[in-house]
Amino acid sequence: MMEALSYEFFRNALYAGLLASLICGVIGSLVVVNRIVFLAGGVAHASYGGVGLAFYLGLPVLPVTAGFSTLAALCMAWVTLNSRERADTVIGVLWAAGMALGIILLDLTPGYNSDLMSYLFGSILAVPDSDLWLMAGLSAAVLVLVALFSRGLFVMSFDLEFARSRGVPVRFLHFLLMGLTALCVVMVIRVVGLILVMALLTIPPFMAERRARSLPGMMFLAGCLSAVFCVAGLYLSYALDLTCGATIIGVACIGFALSLALPRRNRPVPGGDGAA
Amino acid sequence: MSTPAIEISDLWFAYNGVRVLDKVNLTLPVGDFLAVLGPNGGGKSTLLRLLLGLLKPGGGSIRVLGSPPGQAGGRIGFLPQFTQVSASFPITVLGAVVMGLVRPGVNWPAGRATRRQERQTAREALARVGLADQAGRRLSDLSGGQRQRVFIARAIVSGPELLLLDEPTASVDGKSRQELMELLARLNSDMTIVMVSHDMSTVDGCVNSIACVNRTLHHHADSRLTPLIFAQATGADLMAGCPVELLAHGAVPHRVVLAHDDPGCCGGRHAKKDDGGLPS
Repeated sequence: MMEALSYEFFRNALYAGLLASLICGVIGSLVVVNRIVFLAGGVAHASYGGVGLAFYLGLPVLPVTAGFSTLAALCMAWVTLNSRERADTVIGVLWAAGMALGIILLDLTPGYNSDLMSYLFGSILAVPDSDLWLMAGLSAAVLVLVALFSRGLFVMSFDLEFARSRGVPVRFLHFLLMGLTALCVVMVIRVVGLILVMALLTIPPFMAERRARSLPGMMFLAGCLSAVFCVAGLYLSYALDLTCGATIIGVACIGFALSLALPRRNRPVPGGDGAA
Repeated sequence: MSTPAIEISDLWFAYNGVRVLDKVNLTLPVGDFLAVLGPNGGGKSTLLRLLLGLLKPGGGSIRVLGSPPGQAGGRIGFLPQFTQVSASFPITVLGAVVMGLVRPGVNWPAGRATRRQERQTAREALARVGLADQAGRRLSDLSGGQRQRVFIARAIVSGPELLLLDEPTASVDGKSRQELMELLARLNSDMTIVMVSHDMSTVDGCVNSIACVNRTLHHHADSRLTPLIFAQATGADLMAGCPVELLAHGAVPHRVVLAHDDPGCCGGRHAKKDDGGLPS
């Protein structure tokens, strides 16, 4: 590990992994408790359209993808709020449309696009300093927004009906949460790629949820677990010469399986009617 | 006389052009304990959502605590239906009650009471529902009846004048149901209560008046369960079946037994209910 750390690309990879973990802990927890994992998946895949657009226009990838994904996320938020009946179907369409757009735009872009795969499966070993700063900026923005709107977000996550009855602006918060999810997804794409984003967004929060006693606690624990997976995955991929993103997810999946195998805290349910 | 807790006149509401509520009139004095009974799909929950300002009426007027619905904010406590909350959500009992201190709007961190003050207020609310000793436990470790009391604590933590409850006794066992009703009777000394229920066994001593909602609303200013109320509350097709079923549910008022002493049991009485002038 010490030897690996002497390379700048490895240090940058480590920083990128830790930043992504921080944000995955916070946003992943909100995504899981609000049951919008499918929506987050839609945003992740649609964001490929942003990658294609950036290449086609010859602009920097991360900012363009961030903008594009946010737009896609807000569209999906609007769809879920206004056509609940078939919202999941429409999300599925947007999911595919975004990806197709990305591929077509890349086809139309002259030259050889070697980077294509790196956005599907991550390119954490090729994070330049500039992207690192952008990631840090996005993380800070996401954290500040979550902190500012924490009361409303938490009440809504816990009980939507109650939040609505108390005049909490749940429509606005739903849009906000989707926008934050988009920013989070863009950051994580750097680390594990858009195919594997969902794993990092859902596995650590799922493991944390059962052990935490509060939503901030769940976020913290999920962030720590995610950091462990990233660091361990990075090291293993370096030592064994494996694809980095996939190794990180592999470690996370093993962690997930272990956490299922470990006994849960005993949960006596007096009355016997606890719908677990 | 003071402003009524709830004042509804000529209210109607339609989903996709079908009026689920029509010609609803109700004046509820402060301090009352109203049970809203009626068959499933009869419009009980719609009425509650109109009172909360979550739905806009098609026509007519509603005033809650003298204000239009949705503008009374923390003066209304609300207990949603039991199934709304995921059992795995990571939260302590105290944390769940603190959620009740949310105010309308954004709730900027700067405008909030300190964490300590909020937790103290929440502890007091928990003590009122008899769960002071459970504050530190994870919500998912509690029984159904206890959880329901936590949600009542969340509803009253903001010191409301009106408490709206949606099926508070659904999915809790008989003993917890009785404890819940006793708790509500105690709370009724401080606040007006409106309880939506399709479970008539909850209409025991503590309820002051009954509203039967089945597209329109019949308000009965005393809480005697007469055969007419029974028929209005269950719908014309008597889905709830024979009133003998009520006897199986914990504390049932004796008058139900009296009403049921008619010869001919269900058959004869059902025929009578059917011509009670009910909307079908």
